[in-house]
Amino acid sequence: MKIHIIFGLILGILVLFLTAESQEDLTAKQIVDRSFKTTKLAGSEMLSTMTIIDDEGRERVREIASVTKLYDNGETEKRLIRFLSPADVKGTGLLTFDYEKKDDDMWLFMPALRKTRRIVSTERAKNFMGSEFTYADMTPPILDDFTYELLGEEEIEGTPCWKIAMIPVDDDVADENGFSKRITFIAKQDFVIRRAVYYDLDGDLHKELTVEEVKEVDPENHKYRPMHMLMVNKQNGRKSVLNVDEIQFNPDVKDEFFTTRYLERY
Amino acid sequence: MSAFAEKIVRFRWLSIVGFVALAVFFGAQIPRSEIESDMKAMLPEDIESRIKTDKIDELFGGTEMLMVIVKTEDVLSPEALTRTENISKQMKRIKGVDKVLSLFELKNIKGEEGAMIVEPAVRHIPKTEKQKEELRKEIRENDIVYGSVVSEDFTLTAVIALLKADVSDIFIVDEIRRLIEENPGKEEIVIGGLPFTRVQVTKSIRLDLRRLLPLGLFVMLVFLFICFKQLRGVVLPFVVVIMSILFAMGLIPLFGWKIHVISVLVPVMLIAIANDYGIHLIAKYQELNSEGNSFSEKELAMDIFSHLTKPVVLTGLTTVAGMLCLLGHIIIPSRQIGILASCGILFALTASLLFIPAVVSLLPKAKPIIHSRNSRKPVLERMLRLFGRIVTSKPKEIIAFATISALGVSIGILFVVVDTDPNKYYPKDHPIPYAARLINEKLGGAQNISVVFQGDIKDPRIMKKIDNMEHELQEMPEVGNTTSIARVVRQMSRALNDREEEGYDRIPDTRNAVAQYFELYSMSGDPDDFEKMVDFPYEHALLTARLNTASTKKMDHVIDRLKQRTKNDQDVLLVGGFGSILSELAHKVVNGQFLSLGLAIFAVGILLMILFRSVTAGLISAIPLALSIVTLFGLMGIFLIELNVATAMLSSIMIGVGVDYTIHFLWRFRVERQDGLDPEEAAKKTLTTTGRGIVFNALSVIIGFVVLFTSNFMPVRFFGFLVIVSISSCLIGALILIPALCIVLKPKFLEPKQINV
Repeated sequence: MKIHIIFGLILGILVLFLTAESQEDLTAKQIVDRSFKTTKLAGSEMLSTMTIIDDEGRERVREIASVTKLYDNGETEKRLIRFLSPADVKGTGLLTFDYEKKDDDMWLFMPALRKTRRIVSTERAKNFMGSEFTYADMTPPILDDFTYELLGEEEIEGTPCWKIAMIPVDDDVADENGFSKRITFIAKQDFVIRRAVYYDLDGDLHKELTVEEVKEVDPENHKYRPMHMLMVNKQNGRKSVLNVDEIQFNPDVKDEFFTTRYLERY
Repeated sequence: MSAFAEKIVRFRWLSIVGFVALAVFFGAQIPRSEIESDMKAMLPEDIESRIKTDKIDELFGGTEMLMVIVKTEDVLSPEALTRTENISKQMKRIKGVDKVLSLFELKNIKGEEGAMIVEPAVRHIPKTEKQKEELRKEIRENDIVYGSVVSEDFTLTAVIALLKADVSDIFIVDEIRRLIEENPGKEEIVIGGLPFTRVQVTKSIRLDLRRLLPLGLFVMLVFLFICFKQLRGVVLPFVVVIMSILFAMGLIPLFGWKIHVISVLVPVMLIAIANDYGIHLIAKYQELNSEGNSFSEKELAMDIFSHLTKPVVLTGLTTVAGMLCLLGHIIIPSRQIGILASCGILFALTASLLFIPAVVSLLPKAKPIIHSRNSRKPVLERMLRLFGRIVTSKPKEIIAFATISALGVSIGILFVVVDTDPNKYYPKDHPIPYAARLINEKLGGAQNISVVFQGDIKDPRIMKKIDNMEHELQEMPEVGNTTSIARVVRQMSRALNDREEEGYDRIPDTRNAVAQYFELYSMSGDPDDFEKMVDFPYEHALLTARLNTASTKKMDHVIDRLKQRTKNDQDVLLVGGFGSILSELAHKVVNGQFLSLGLAIFAVGILLMILFRSVTAGLISAIPLALSIVTLFGLMGIFLIELNVATAMLSSIMIGVGVDYTIHFLWRFRVERQDGLDPEEAAKKTLTTTGRGIVFNALSVIIGFVVLFTSNFMPVRFFGFLVIVSISSCLIGALILIPALCIVLKPKFLEPKQINV
């Protein structure tokens, strides 16, 4: 037992030392890269609530259950989402294979029609589930599509962060991702984004992401997940809140969840 | 009266300074006035169609759009597509543009090998002929774009900017123009849409004011000089007209009003009408100031005042009465014109009676005018003498002929069309109607009429109702493109089901299925794709039909049908849209026309009855007016001139002005009868004396309105034409028909005995 503790402590100090050491030499690009890797879980089970709020404060609430698992050495994330409420869409399922190097595969199952359809959509700037979050927000971008600049350091809610500007290399990338510039505040302690400010294709302030309650879901690999994400569209006044109600790290999620056969088993 | 005339001379400085000060004060207000180019603002805010359309804007956001149309042989050629793509892309970045609809922004939802694919209608610009034809085939099957942003013959494609609510017209039109300049090419580019129309209209109003005013004033100066050949004869009526225009136009900002398209008529009407009173005074002055007279300046001034007060005030009052009857219109600018013109005329009337004698009394006596026998006058005299002969020899034939010809022309009334289409403001080859024609014929239609449904929109019962109504609308020849949430659901059903499956191309039967369709769409489309079709809580849905016509009659047909279909339907909240505003405007034009016409005839009749203390006088003077009205509408039908916001004001103005000639004739005729002439001789004498004054009076009005032919706006030009036609017919009525009537009927109020009582 004691040995374990001592071993753990030494390991911890070592990790801290190593990360502290490496942080000094990190480029803006490396920080962003780490920030995406830091939330990649080998596998997870999750209950969450997506609340979409319009400019008059009217709400649409979706409760969803989801499981994820990494494949191909982390290059592919498979994800199954099942709607729990509201009643009219209960049982609707979405299966996504998120590839690092090619367009994603998506299937949607509609219980009322007992039908599964593949969805093909190439635009990452597309809003996810009708919310203010885009697919680009939910999945890591292609690193070389952007240039990075470390603008300095700033505290967000008491957490020291790097302030980094991410700028698309050309108009096509900007169009695809839906922004001309993104200022990201990445926490030094866990590499999790705490805040992000998006500028639209005209260069005007567009959206602002606020992240709260960062939880270390996989302590062994130092993987984190935010429990509360708020995206505010500054131009049309709409908001979306993604709240993680429960999350369980589980690298051993059954593979059969990620099949269209299972998608339809409802 | 002479005591009052003395006061006018005694307080002449007060009068001169007072009028000039008033004119300067009101003139100083004019620069503060704003121009209103929005058709919507012609109707009061509490009018049904405006309330309903505002409600639609509130529920679904603004529906304003600007269109850039690319016109070429084949819009799928690489050059045309590249240019369209660049315009589309850059348009998105213009501030104030909410959303862009184009071949590159609108979606193609299709089912392919078990997948639902949502992608831009044109994803890549085709490089080979084969790719081009494949794309053409795909677009033909995509009813989101086919016939709406690309014409069925592929000669037109539109890039449409949906605008944010608060963007200014001038800013957005300038930005769009810059965008086109920055993307040159050999294709023809056409801009369309209401904001563009409004910018053009505002510009045209400014140009109109800048051109019509000086031109009208110049024409009037020339006319006055020909009439009087004397500086004071030109300057004094001219100054009165200028002052009355300053007064009337200065009232616009003081009342908190704006200048509308047809408000340009106010100064023109004043130029034509407001000089009448001054002309009478100067004519009398010259008559009294004949060779060898011994009047002093002051005596001349007092005399012209006392001689002319009564007839000038009376003709002025009938004109004002006619103008005020424009208040019978519910259309805001018509009412405003009625009030402004009345105020201007009242001002001109008082200024003519007070200001002109005051100035005359100050000026040294003018040299008497020696009437040189120029060639024009004998012609007029000969003509009037001829009238006299015809009238006295064949009075019954004249009455019969007038009645028959009026009846003949009246057939034209059957063909009079009411139209409030703003595109008809301009000649056919102007960019605005040209763009409207392209949009109407090939891009789904420019006007819209919408139905708002309420309730649980995801309920298949309501969804199917929307779908059915949309189909019914599409069957109508007036309807171009339609959009509704039901149509999107059907599109999804086609992408989700195979052709042979039961659910293909139909609204699903359960609420859950509808909800899940939307959930599916939200995975691949933008959340605001539906913004203009259904509100956030899915409680209201908008079915919009674009009409390929702005003809009021055809639009009415669609609206009536929709209203009838949705009557007592709990699921339908309202029928509205810009088309319904235009339609209501048309109805108000017609109703206002009849109301103001009736009021004008009534008011003028009453005035004449009081003036001659006789009911018959009112009735007799109504006869030439009635014939003029019949002729006016008959000619409108024959010449295919539409009844619109401008031309609808004609009749009440015509009555107010046109009755003057009858008054002048009857007044003199009665005097001559009192002097012992028999009716035939009295008619002849009146025609050759007062007749000349009447002709000059009418000519000054006609010449004043001639300048309207140079207006930028078609309705204003038609207005000018019709004023001339109707004033002429009033003139002929007063010079031929009225004498004939007097001779045949021998009305008691004109008989000498009656008057002596």
